[in-house]
Amino acid sequence: MAPKSPRPDRTVLIVRKHHWLVRWTHWLNVPLLFGLIATGLAIYWAAPVFKHAPDPVTGSRDYLADLGFAIARLTGDPSGGRWVYEHFGLGTGQLAGALRLHWLLAYFFMLNGVLYAIGLMKGGGWRALVPRPSDGAEALRMIRYYLGVIPHAISRKPWPHPVVRSKYNALQRGAYFTMPLVGALVVLSGWAMHKPSQLGWLERLFVSYDGARIVHFACMLVLGSFVVPHVILVVADGFDTFRSMLTGWSTRLKSDDREGA
Amino acid sequence: MIEKPEIPEAASGHAIAQQSRRDFLAFAAGILATAAGAWWLLPDKTKARLLPGAARDRLDTLAARVGLSGRNRELFLDRALTFDDDVAEALFSQDRRVRTYARSETTPLKPNYHGQAPLPESLAGWTLTLDGLASGRTERLDASALARFPKREQVTRLVCVEGWSAVAWWGGIAFADLLRAFPPAPGARWAALRSQISRDPAGRPEPYFVSIDLPTAHHAQTLLATELSGRPLPLAHGAPLRLVAPVKLGLKNIKAITHIAYQAQEPADYWNLRGYSKYDGL
Repeated sequence: MAPKSPRPDRTVLIVRKHHWLVRWTHWLNVPLLFGLIATGLAIYWAAPVFKHAPDPVTGSRDYLADLGFAIARLTGDPSGGRWVYEHFGLGTGQLAGALRLHWLLAYFFMLNGVLYAIGLMKGGGWRALVPRPSDGAEALRMIRYYLGVIPHAISRKPWPHPVVRSKYNALQRGAYFTMPLVGALVVLSGWAMHKPSQLGWLERLFVSYDGARIVHFACMLVLGSFVVPHVILVVADGFDTFRSMLTGWSTRLKSDDREGA
Repeated sequence: MIEKPEIPEAASGHAIAQQSRRDFLAFAAGILATAAGAWWLLPDKTKARLLPGAARDRLDTLAARVGLSGRNRELFLDRALTFDDDVAEALFSQDRRVRTYARSETTPLKPNYHGQAPLPESLAGWTLTLDGLASGRTERLDASALARFPKREQVTRLVCVEGWSAVAWWGGIAFADLLRAFPPAPGARWAALRSQISRDPAGRPEPYFVSIDLPTAHHAQTLLATELSGRPLPLAHGAPLRLVAPVKLGLKNIKAITHIAYQAQEPADYWNLRGYSKYDGL
């Protein structure tokens, strides 16, 4: 169903979707995470944690450099082992600059997370994120639905969206519930690396110093890879969903029975 | 059920269209401001790669005209770095011990110098010079004078700013014991540690120097080490005397120390002059 744009001359029915703090912090996460990943990779380059014996051909000792060599070979790029670090990170050989930016952005990221949590509380948005017993079955239904979308579109057969009575479907809820937790984990593992002596208990929580590094890296991958399906599904779901994260309201009422993003 | 059903509300179409317009304009302004801020904060080296040529200069000039100059960027980032250092200093506790390990848990330790290790010849006639003492004198201690202090051993982790770390078994004297034997002048808050014999990457003489706050120097696990793995320190690891301060980043753990001076003002620090933080508390 096409989203309805409100006509200026009449009364429209809207539902309030997102508290303004949730909306602002949601968008701020984009440049913050982008910057944190770019600077983080520049820091990571100085001493990779995922290492192997030197490659006899390339001399590479780390898996991200290997990936860089593979991509650079395919694309004919001269950067070789630096490919990943230069395309997703600030680049190589600038540890001091990357550290300064990483701390700066990290403090803003933590502040942003606190404001997001306050927004979830004040706007009651947290209620829609709490997992519930029906989530397992509903998640399977949603996966079945998504797998069928393209085949049914090709064969031009109807493929109705499962009825979802809550704000989010189970897959969305799972993702939106997990992301703040991963955000908290990335902050905790960051502090464990940053202050392993004063926050020794935190370092032990991640078993060892390298344990914290591995968790930090894994959280980065989870946060980064969340963005791809998130953006695809918002685009697929339509303008109303995108607008609701900007304005806070939606003209799509639950009786319309469609969900996505 | 925790989640409450959505209740549609009636709103004036005119009012929400206006609000929508305002929000979209604010969003666009936010994107522009973020792009400008990101360009401002990016290191020059990254900018050179992203946008080679004259366009970069024009963009930089434009940014500088609204106050987003390279100089202001450095001031801003330095302030962020100082804030982080202040957080580290606030977290520091004199009584908190860092984690210690069993001798069997040691791991290979990279011998990172800022350049090359000192030449063996430079150790002949080595002394440790102490300045800024309460006595007002300059003391010169040789290896035998240091050997009279009680020997301490510990197995702790050294964490490099680059991200690697290693567990090492150290032996030496407690910095606190040296401070007790040769107390700093009243009012001193810092120790300036210096290696006059260290060399740059090309092998030319280049002193290395770090600043250590006195609370860190007094910490029970801060050693002036003379041994690694139960044997005398090799040249690569800072013979004849190096700092082992597990509450600080590895770059503060200066090797081949020749001078310690106590002072009231914060001393210069080799890596801080090269854009790294200054307090470096772990």
